[in-house]
Amino acid sequence: MSATSPSRSAVFSMLQLRGGWALVRGLWLSWLQYRSFFFLLAFGWMIPPLIAMLVWMAAAGDGSLQGLNRANLAAYYLALILVNQVTYAQTNWTVGDLIRTGELNRVLLRPIPPLYDALASEFAGKVVYLVFDLPVVAVLAMILRPEMHWTLPGLLAFLPALVFAWALRFLWGYWLALLAFWTTRADALLGLQDTLVFLLAGQVAPLALLPPTMQYIAHLLPFRYMLAFPVEVLSGQMDTRQMFTGFAMQLAWLLFSALLTLLCWRLGVRRYTAVGG
Amino acid sequence: MRALGLILSFVRVSFQEEAAYQSNFFIHVFYSLLNLVTGVVGLSILFSQVQQVNGWDFSATLALLGVYLTVSALRSLFIAPGLEALAGMDGEIWSGRFDFTLLRPLNIQFLVSLRKWRLFSLFDLLLGWGVLGAALVEMRFALSLGQAAIFLLALFSGLLVLYAILLGFTGLVFWSPDVLFTWLFDGLFQMARYPLAMYPGWLRWVLTWIVPVGMITSFPADALRGALSLQALLAGLGLSALLFLAASLLFRQGLRRYASASS
Repeated sequence: MSATSPSRSAVFSMLQLRGGWALVRGLWLSWLQYRSFFFLLAFGWMIPPLIAMLVWMAAAGDGSLQGLNRANLAAYYLALILVNQVTYAQTNWTVGDLIRTGELNRVLLRPIPPLYDALASEFAGKVVYLVFDLPVVAVLAMILRPEMHWTLPGLLAFLPALVFAWALRFLWGYWLALLAFWTTRADALLGLQDTLVFLLAGQVAPLALLPPTMQYIAHLLPFRYMLAFPVEVLSGQMDTRQMFTGFAMQLAWLLFSALLTLLCWRLGVRRYTAVGG
Repeated sequence: MRALGLILSFVRVSFQEEAAYQSNFFIHVFYSLLNLVTGVVGLSILFSQVQQVNGWDFSATLALLGVYLTVSALRSLFIAPGLEALAGMDGEIWSGRFDFTLLRPLNIQFLVSLRKWRLFSLFDLLLGWGVLGAALVEMRFALSLGQAAIFLLALFSGLLVLYAILLGFTGLVFWSPDVLFTWLFDGLFQMARYPLAMYPGWLRWVLTWIVPVGMITSFPADALRGALSLQALLAGLGLSALLFLAASLLFRQGLRRYASASS
């Protein structure tokens, strides 16, 4: 570090970005060695929305369902497949293991907050998965000829919606995973989260195609804001008011899950007694 | 007779292993129910928008889901656990523990295919039958004895296809141990949740001729709809027998390549 940039290095050490970056890089390099494993995971996650897409496209036939024709459905689902991969927080499944096996000790001893460990594997994972997903989606796009009505506000709002969606899905899963401090079977709640995301976050069907009661519930619960919301923002289906309400709900749930995560971490780590051997 | 006795003791040992972890049972039930809800809710959403898709209405598609659940339950009851221990993550071929399995004085394919049972999956089997029953009621279809026999034969041929594919994919592990071929199959198998007729032509072709996943569920479901001719049934049985032989050959070829693993 040169003497001319003391402020920069101060910022770096304050957020401990350098340590975080080293973790990301290390994990990413080690994961690329096992790429066939991660490609298979990505393949498996892609299948349920892919099936839903093909079935809905067959159902729409040459007409349209609630204003969505084949090309719109294809565009919606191809975007959803990518957003799903970006927001899916697979790290949460290993947090519980760390706590149960006592591996958490290693993480706790590092001079940077343990959350960084989870974040590092998040970022490293996304890159490896997207290396698989992007070409596949590109090929599918060539076969299926998707159509999307871009709007400028939609495009601009997409990125924040995506980042918030990821943060919400990550933190929601993280606080659930931290329940492993109290019970060894917290993983089942992650399974429940995956199911609810499948049903209520636009995977099994775009929200517009759900029955009214289910649609109403989906708009209230956090799951829509983890996945469907950014895709809907991108495809320009919403007016300005709906978009703002959506962002408000998303941020409210994000704040709530951040608080829960903090609470679970504080209380949990206090009662944590390592298992070791 | 000896084979039957062995299978019984495999089942007994598996039960003793599983029964030690009682809370696993409740977790298993929880996940099975989630799986059931996902499937049924998905279908009811689809058919709240349309009456039928490419000739399949709600009751017929529900019957297919019932077949899918039944076949998946049988798969995780006795087909998958043994093969997964061999070729799954951290499996015997990968770690070299397969040496000990090979030393047993038995037909290896018989041993690896039937040695492990996951008896919790009997619960999934009940769920699958429940969905099948519900679909039959929905169809207002009184199953005659002959039709039931045709259905069971079709189901058997579907299961044989499933076993053959899984065995074949397991055999491939001998060629490249670091690829989890069974996971690849898991992804493709999910496509059998819906009738082949709902997929575009190119995918239908792949799922019929390359990895015949479609046959596993569409065949028995067609039998329930009364849409399966006797010729088709016989052809299906012949094809599944052929696949079974081919997969066994592939597995045997693979076995020859096995050179253990050491550190």
